[in-house]
Amino acid sequence: MDAKVTPGRTAGLYAGAAVLRLAIFTLLPALPDLLTGRVEISTPVTSFKRLQEGLFLYNHNVSPYDGGVYHQAPLLLPLFSLLPSFTSLPIFTYLLYIAVDLLSAGALWRIADSGEAGSSALFTSPRREKRWSGFVVAAAFLLNPFTVATCIGRSTSVFTTCAILHAIAKAVSGAPFGAMVALSFASYLSMYPLLLLPPLVLLAYDRQRPERATKSALQFAAVSASTVAGVVGVLFQMSYLLTGSWEFLPSTYGVQLTLSDLTPNVGLWWYFFIEMFDSFRSFFLAVFWLHLSSYVGGLTVRIRRQPLVVLTLLLGIFAIFKPYPSISDMALFLALVPLHRHVFPLMRYTFVSAAVIMYATCLGPAFYHLWIYAGSGNANFFYAVTLVWNLGLSLLVCDLMFAVLRDEWEVERPEMAGKEIRQI
Amino acid sequence: MPRLLASALQLRRDPRILKLPPYVSLLCILVGVAWLFLLPLDQYSRRTYISENALLPGQVHTYFGGSDQNVFRAYKHEVNELAGKSNTDVNDKLEPIVKGLGLKTARQNFTYHAAGHTYSGENLYAILQAPRGDATEAIVLVAAWENVKHEINRNGIPLALTLLRYFKRWSLWSKDIILLITPDSIAGPQAWVDAYHDAHDPSRVSSLPLKSGLLQGAIAIDYTQETRFESVHIVYDGVNGQLPNLDLINSIVNIAGGQMGIGVALQEMWHHDNGYPDRLRTMLRGMLKQGLGLASGAHSSFIPYHVDAVTLRPFGDGWQDEMAMGRVVEGSFRSLNNLLEHLHQSFFFYLLMQRERFVSIGTYLPSAMLVAANFTIMAIALWVKTGQPAEGAAPKTKTETNTTTTTTTTTAERDLFLPLGVVALIQSLSIIPLYLFNHAPESTLTTLFIAFTALNTLLPQVLSHLLTTLPTTPTTPHQFNLIKSFSLLLLGMFLSTLATLNFSLALITGLLASPLSFLQPCQTRAGKVAATALLNAVSPTAVLLAGAAYWGTDVTSVLKEAAVAWQVCGTYSPVVVWCVWWPAWVAGGVVVLGGRPGTPRGVGNKEKMG
Repeated sequence: MDAKVTPGRTAGLYAGAAVLRLAIFTLLPALPDLLTGRVEISTPVTSFKRLQEGLFLYNHNVSPYDGGVYHQAPLLLPLFSLLPSFTSLPIFTYLLYIAVDLLSAGALWRIADSGEAGSSALFTSPRREKRWSGFVVAAAFLLNPFTVATCIGRSTSVFTTCAILHAIAKAVSGAPFGAMVALSFASYLSMYPLLLLPPLVLLAYDRQRPERATKSALQFAAVSASTVAGVVGVLFQMSYLLTGSWEFLPSTYGVQLTLSDLTPNVGLWWYFFIEMFDSFRSFFLAVFWLHLSSYVGGLTVRIRRQPLVVLTLLLGIFAIFKPYPSISDMALFLALVPLHRHVFPLMRYTFVSAAVIMYATCLGPAFYHLWIYAGSGNANFFYAVTLVWNLGLSLLVCDLMFAVLRDEWEVERPEMAGKEIRQI
Repeated sequence: MPRLLASALQLRRDPRILKLPPYVSLLCILVGVAWLFLLPLDQYSRRTYISENALLPGQVHTYFGGSDQNVFRAYKHEVNELAGKSNTDVNDKLEPIVKGLGLKTARQNFTYHAAGHTYSGENLYAILQAPRGDATEAIVLVAAWENVKHEINRNGIPLALTLLRYFKRWSLWSKDIILLITPDSIAGPQAWVDAYHDAHDPSRVSSLPLKSGLLQGAIAIDYTQETRFESVHIVYDGVNGQLPNLDLINSIVNIAGGQMGIGVALQEMWHHDNGYPDRLRTMLRGMLKQGLGLASGAHSSFIPYHVDAVTLRPFGDGWQDEMAMGRVVEGSFRSLNNLLEHLHQSFFFYLLMQRERFVSIGTYLPSAMLVAANFTIMAIALWVKTGQPAEGAAPKTKTETNTTTTTTTTTAERDLFLPLGVVALIQSLSIIPLYLFNHAPESTLTTLFIAFTALNTLLPQVLSHLLTTLPTTPTTPHQFNLIKSFSLLLLGMFLSTLATLNFSLALITGLLASPLSFLQPCQTRAGKVAATALLNAVSPTAVLLAGAAYWGTDVTSVLKEAAVAWQVCGTYSPVVVWCVWWPAWVAGGVVVLGGRPGTPRGVGNKEKMG
């Protein structure tokens, strides 16, 4: 791809993406509400409808968590109540969501231009010449139908996405403090990004500015972790002052931890926990969470030399195994995949995984329709499609992991380049 | 096992494997079609049975008759007076009659615009409150003033009124009974059902002032015949090919056939000898109706709302009178009244081939899936093919001594941008015919269709010409193969999704599009001409023309019908034709015409091609 990017093209991309979203918002006024109601886009912890419910209660001086519908972070409420009312002037909400998408794209652009994907502090890929410019990566993110659908569905996960991308961008550009603050915000909003802390600390550690670098990794990690703890603590304190009680902790993070809302989504948890006997519930909750977090340590150690890869893979894994995943997690993962353009030739199942994901994208709404509206199907139909969806996603994650490991391996064993590997 | 695995891996490298997919694809189609023709056999179809115990069809005595005959005659006299009057006059006359029975009545206005026409009218409905119920559930008796053929429902309306009067006398109803009288059979019921579920557009359809509980079932009476009848025709196709629960049809077959001794026909098969040809014909007619997805009667609009509904239409020359028909309806209502929950036990996806013979989804779905799979197989094969090194470098360096360990895994880098762009462009172009044909007024439809057909024939030519001349680097055969691969992948994907929603539409579209799997980029001029001719013979426009000619109508009325169905009932068949089939067809055309003359023949032909 052509690497020359003039300011005009940059502005054109951003303007194009903004106009596309604005056009959908204004020309198809029924679509945003339709998408907001889709379980694939709005989960109990990111739904815009639930946010409005919380906002209504908050504006009437009732605890937003009364009624058990709102499960999102309390600080979103003042943000949205500062905006003019959604019912009378929806345009401001639209603009906010569009701006957040553009900010995410900007962060992604910086990550792409840093070249971290192809050559990190400890590893330089022989294929690093083949890469996409920030323009292409940002365009792939902004024009991805999953991103657009998330934005149109006004899922609050876009804020988390933006915070995570900014955390990575800050870490890559040698600003560890900013990275930790951004990660704290992401964790505050959605909790699961806290699991990204180890690879992010490593990434920030590797990319420190030489003039004020901390030599000791332990010291750096301790400082970073305490920064995150401090910022999250401050955010909690603010939330406490805002809502007047600690009720928000069980209502937001508790719901994610205990999966008390079993609304269907594209993930694997809901069906499992619907079927489960109550006596086993806590055990399996622990197992599911343990499983989700177990990837962090393993991947961080195994691919130590490329922390950005670890972050990408983890986000892909979270999109599969999170308690409340939606297509916005998929969009975030797909945003980071193009950074690793140099290992694409090593990937083997791109077509299959893309086809599987597309099939699932088509079949998912159809089966949901058969289950909920036509009444001629049942929950198994939809769950079967989410299995296929997650199969496609895990194929993609595994394939990317394979390609990255193979890339590393070929540096260690140059004589094996291009040869077929086989298990002995 | 490891050895088997190794030999399988070895096989993967075999160039012969790549030659296989077209044959596999063809096999899929052939098996899919053959499967369909096996279905009417006794071994593959099943006898129908009642799944829902609560229905107890035909277990009650029906008492409709006797003096009700006189009531019927009186109502019929009134209705005959109203023939030819306007919709409002009819309702002004009928409303007091229904009110006189002691029921609450209400009216609802609706106006639809489609194909330059306005479809407006006023529905009249009345609610008989259940003596033993709590107004949480209701059954609907529909009598449209006109049936789909625009014949006046001369016996149906009086019969419905008589039945309502008769029902009012009984104290055994546990569900409300709603009588709905609509001016026509398509728009009126649609407006009423939409408004009943608050899913209507208030600018076109007014809200209902009076409502009851959840609709549990609906039976429409289409009784235009003046003479005594022989059998009852059950019309069961819903909008978009959705079907009512099989239990409902079985119950009516049971009540009419078993209890009353009235024959039952399906799909306009007036005489059915239960042999293979008649079964096959019934099934194919059913599939065609399902595939078109049009409303086939006043019941059709109910089915998308998960309200099981059928239309009953007496036919033939026999000795059954109106009272017999009334008893069938009475028996069916008594069965529906017994229901403890929504009909859910029996099948929603089935093909009926005789009134007591059906196949369920598990048996017939493979045929549509196989047809859809053929596209996916070809798409994968083409993708693999484009990953092979360019044809010039085909003979691989396989002469090395230890071939087992060092066979290289070269996969040529594919240039995806252009093929993806072309497919996306064609796919987005499909909005244009969809919008035009659904919004143009009827007077312009003919010219529009002719113009579109002309442009449609040229479009693949123009696109492939642009592709070979415009880009700085000429489009390679690989890129054309990728275009075909992506377009087939999309087609396969859409069709397999569609197969779960509307099996017949998916199968019909799949079969009509199946030549696209096998069309290759043509090298020679003669090949191109032949391929273009074949391509145009299976184009959506040509098929529309042929279909219209076969059923003895013209294209304009077909298009108008489609536009009305789209605007009023939300039939999505036009979307499938224009946004699924048409783009695949255009992409197929581009690929066929895009093949450049082979290198040995020189570049001379290239000039002529443009």
